[in-house]
Amino acid sequence: MIHVDNLVKEYKRPVRKEGLFSGIRTLLSRDFAVKRAVDGISFHIAPGELVGYIGPNGAGKSTSIKMLTGILVPTSGRIEVNGLAPHKQRKEYTRQIGVVFGQKTQLWWDVPVIDSLRLLKDIYKVSNVEFSRNMELFSDLLDLHEFQHTPVRQLSLGQRMRADLAAALVHTPRILFLDEPTIGVDVVAKERLRNFIKEINRERKVTVLLTTHDMRDIEKLCTRMMIIDHGQMIYDGSVEQIREKYGRHRTLVVQFEREIPEFSAPNAECLKSEGGKLWFRFDRLATTPSELIAYISTRYPIIDLAVEEPEIEDMVRAIYGGS
Amino acid sequence: MRIFWSFARQAFHNAAIYRFDYWLQLISVFLMMYSVHWIWTSLYSQHPAAFGVNVAQMVTYGILGMALEAIFNPGQGPQMYIATQLKTGGIDTDLAKPLDFHLHMLARNFGEILFRFGTLVLPSALIGGAFLGLQFPASPVAAGLFAVSLLLGYLVLFALNFLLGMLAVVTLDIRSISWAYNSLVRFFSGQMVPLWLFPGFLGALANVLPFRSIYAIPISIYIGKLNGSAALEALIFQSVWVIALFIVGRLAWNGVHTRLVVQGG
Repeated sequence: MIHVDNLVKEYKRPVRKEGLFSGIRTLLSRDFAVKRAVDGISFHIAPGELVGYIGPNGAGKSTSIKMLTGILVPTSGRIEVNGLAPHKQRKEYTRQIGVVFGQKTQLWWDVPVIDSLRLLKDIYKVSNVEFSRNMELFSDLLDLHEFQHTPVRQLSLGQRMRADLAAALVHTPRILFLDEPTIGVDVVAKERLRNFIKEINRERKVTVLLTTHDMRDIEKLCTRMMIIDHGQMIYDGSVEQIREKYGRHRTLVVQFEREIPEFSAPNAECLKSEGGKLWFRFDRLATTPSELIAYISTRYPIIDLAVEEPEIEDMVRAIYGGS
Repeated sequence: MRIFWSFARQAFHNAAIYRFDYWLQLISVFLMMYSVHWIWTSLYSQHPAAFGVNVAQMVTYGILGMALEAIFNPGQGPQMYIATQLKTGGIDTDLAKPLDFHLHMLARNFGEILFRFGTLVLPSALIGGAFLGLQFPASPVAAGLFAVSLLLGYLVLFALNFLLGMLAVVTLDIRSISWAYNSLVRFFSGQMVPLWLFPGFLGALANVLPFRSIYAIPISIYIGKLNGSAALEALIFQSVWVIALFIVGRLAWNGVHTRLVVQGG
């Protein structure tokens, strides 16, 4: 459904002049700074996939999303979505996609949500039947009816994000691009947004590409994840694979009867100690928790213990750092 | 076409929020119309034959000039919207819509203008007619030509504003240029002083520039200063500028779209 080949975007920014008539002088100046924001990215996404697209700030995520949505013109490379070239056939193309930019809103700030949705209905030429069917869905899954008559400026961020999701889906798109849809939203609202995205993907077979900095979004939603850094793809594969490749280490947390000095066990190093509690980091291929526990329990009496799995976030940090 | 109406409806919802703002604007138009009325009547009492038209025509010219400010103020053009959207990065939500950008900006702006025409220009004209000596159009034909000319004038202004908006895409900042541009438009469009009162070289310059399409031509037709073939020529002048400026605007957009920089996020 989505084919991207060797995509490149370079920004040429004029070097700004200071002082009087700065605007005109900037215009006439020939000084440019070139930045390669996306540097040769290729991938394919099949219909119905829900793909997480992550990377540190400034990695080129948003720039790629903007090229995929036809907003920015690529410097070189090829994008083809559903047989269309986004920036060349922008009008036809944007009819088939929905876009949410978490940091911006496409809703009119001063008017009730429903008025903006009605304008979008006209822009996308959505039929009355389709519109009311979608509105019903939004009421069921997003509780849109609770705040559809409230002006956008009075909405909470969570409500605004729900309204923006609804706005992106008014025309029943086949592909949904979500650029940080959970940014700044509290835990409960996040959960609700995730459920909605999952539902849309499962029930309506909408293909979703989502960027986020919250790894729990990826864990809860995506089977596949693509990681980019410095404009280049550094990982493209399943979330499980990441766990296997970068998640070999576990942490065993042991609570002892009394405070004891730090010590190391075979194949496990002690990370820290705190009030009779010790953290041991071990490689699950080198040793097993039971071996470790057996060894430790011979030395000191254990009250309680737990094995901690690594967070995806830690793995991703390892990947960002190692690239 | 429907999309124009949709944007007008949205402009109505949007403007209805700021009622205080609306009354303030209406009062300020009224004050301006009053001053213009007063200036021309006192000038005519000194030199009744010095201005090329009679006092009733001139007062009508001046009052219309003020009443039309609500739709012809260059500061409300699409360039302001484009500049804001560029600054906040909101431009990408505009580009993610299945609308031609040029026409999208026209629909958005025209919707607003339609709303402002109904809520500001018409009431001002009614007040002007009732209290300040604004007269009816010179003839039914003049009224019809005036309506066409007003629309063409709006399109010229829109096209010029859009070009300034394109400049904003390149420079990301048009504040200093806007200021000069707005003064230029006000001066050469004949809003305050009719162009036939300009001295030789300035008058000649004003005649070839597109700006007189905005106030001078529609109002001159309204008061009967321009009629017959001269009025038709003026409409052709406007039409040619509309076509030329729309073509340039389109080329400019195609040119800047490839180098668009979306800020933020």
